[in-house]
Amino acid sequence: MGILPNMKVRIAALLMVALIPGAAIGVVSVPHSYELASTGYFRDSDTVPGAYQLYLQTPESKGGFWGLGPGDSDLKRASFKADAHAGVRNYSPGRRCESCHEGQRYSIHSSRGGVACVQCHRSEPIAGINHYYSAMNPIRRHAYVCAKCHEGATASFASYLVHEPSPLAQSTEREFPLLYYATWIMAILAVGVFLIFIPYVTLWGIREFVGLFGRKQRHG
Amino acid sequence: MVNINTNVRRFTALQMMFHFGLIVTFMLLSVTGLAWMFIETSWGKTLAAPFGGYTGALEVHKITGLVLLALFALHILYTLVHIDWKHPSRTLLGPDSIVFQWRDVKDFFRHLGWIMGMIKAPEFDRWSWWEKFDYWAVWWGLMIVGVTGLMLYNPVLTSHYLPGWFLNVALWVHRIEAVLAMAHIFTIHFFIEHFRPRCFPFSATMFEGSKDIKHLREEHPAWIARLETEGGLQALMVKPSPVPLRILYFGVGYALIGLGIFLLVFGLINVSLLTLQI
Repeated sequence: MGILPNMKVRIAALLMVALIPGAAIGVVSVPHSYELASTGYFRDSDTVPGAYQLYLQTPESKGGFWGLGPGDSDLKRASFKADAHAGVRNYSPGRRCESCHEGQRYSIHSSRGGVACVQCHRSEPIAGINHYYSAMNPIRRHAYVCAKCHEGATASFASYLVHEPSPLAQSTEREFPLLYYATWIMAILAVGVFLIFIPYVTLWGIREFVGLFGRKQRHG
Repeated sequence: MVNINTNVRRFTALQMMFHFGLIVTFMLLSVTGLAWMFIETSWGKTLAAPFGGYTGALEVHKITGLVLLALFALHILYTLVHIDWKHPSRTLLGPDSIVFQWRDVKDFFRHLGWIMGMIKAPEFDRWSWWEKFDYWAVWWGLMIVGVTGLMLYNPVLTSHYLPGWFLNVALWVHRIEAVLAMAHIFTIHFFIEHFRPRCFPFSATMFEGSKDIKHLREEHPAWIARLETEGGLQALMVKPSPVPLRILYFGVGYALIGLGIFLLVFGLINVSLLTLQI
């Protein structure tokens, strides 16, 4: 029973700690429109100005599975921005994405599935993929983006690279080692089979033709 | 002519059924797989059209893939049953075995020597080195394309057990192995079995199960000689198939060869239109 007053003090102190900063800064409960546009979901405390800085994330420099996965690609500062195009001169929402994002032009999602950029990257202003509120942020990408088509998508599923690097390119050895090595091994296997067989069967065909022709001549 | 036993039996009905099942599933997988790979082009859309577009083509591709894997599982069972487990080396390393042996390596180089006109042709026994290669290539190919195909069958489920980025890798491995298999069948396999002068225009061995002994004395002299000395040749002698059946084999065979060459030629023509980056 002797502990009880002590506990009351502790609870009071905890409440003070929790409430005073809020009271001092003044809680802003109305989210910015871009935050709504990006995710539509956040907690009140997240709307405190500057609060999102707490959640800035740096993706791991190396992927899982002994560093064989994707991960070591260049991080863009803009990928952390709430509006990735803020301050970009000659940007206008009317421009085609691929006129600047040349490297992201090809993905089988767009070329075969007919998925448009904004179906994943959302409407204006487009949040950087690592911004805390972005629908593309890895913490919610699977639920907010992938699961729109792939029912039951998990965070693991969302680690599939939609804009995958060219598998045979030298830079892929660093960016996505397993893709690089697996594709090279398969390509060497495939090319190797034909390098051996094409000349082999061509000469073989000639040899048989000569053999049969020669025999006919001898018998004829 | 037809009533005389001029042919030697080479394949059992079950073995021919395995091969025919492989042909049907392989061709269906090739058409639907290429339809999806080339869906950006009008040729790809044409290939997908009979299946009701790419969704239908993919559905057929997946189901056919499962059928082929089931067939493969049955074949593995079949091979296990046919091994004499008391004396495994007899079935696995005997002259009738399709397992690669040191002799095949020597045969490959002897055959190459004969092609170059340097030495006499090697005398093949029951299976030549390229027949063994073609047989085992299906095993190796099916392992690669089958495992990656199963991973891609349900990507969401796969990502429960492996990171999602494994699917990037699986898709490339699946694609390259499939292209290798198709290109090999539609060029090398067709050439060796049907187009080279000794077999031209068509070899129906895999359809009628037997081959003319005259041809076999040239292609598999060691086998025929062994059968003659062991006295097993007469038991294997059969009549060639009746003419209507042979016409059917030829027609079906050439329809399949034509389909393969159509896929190969149009695939090559359209490959520059793909946006796929390798």
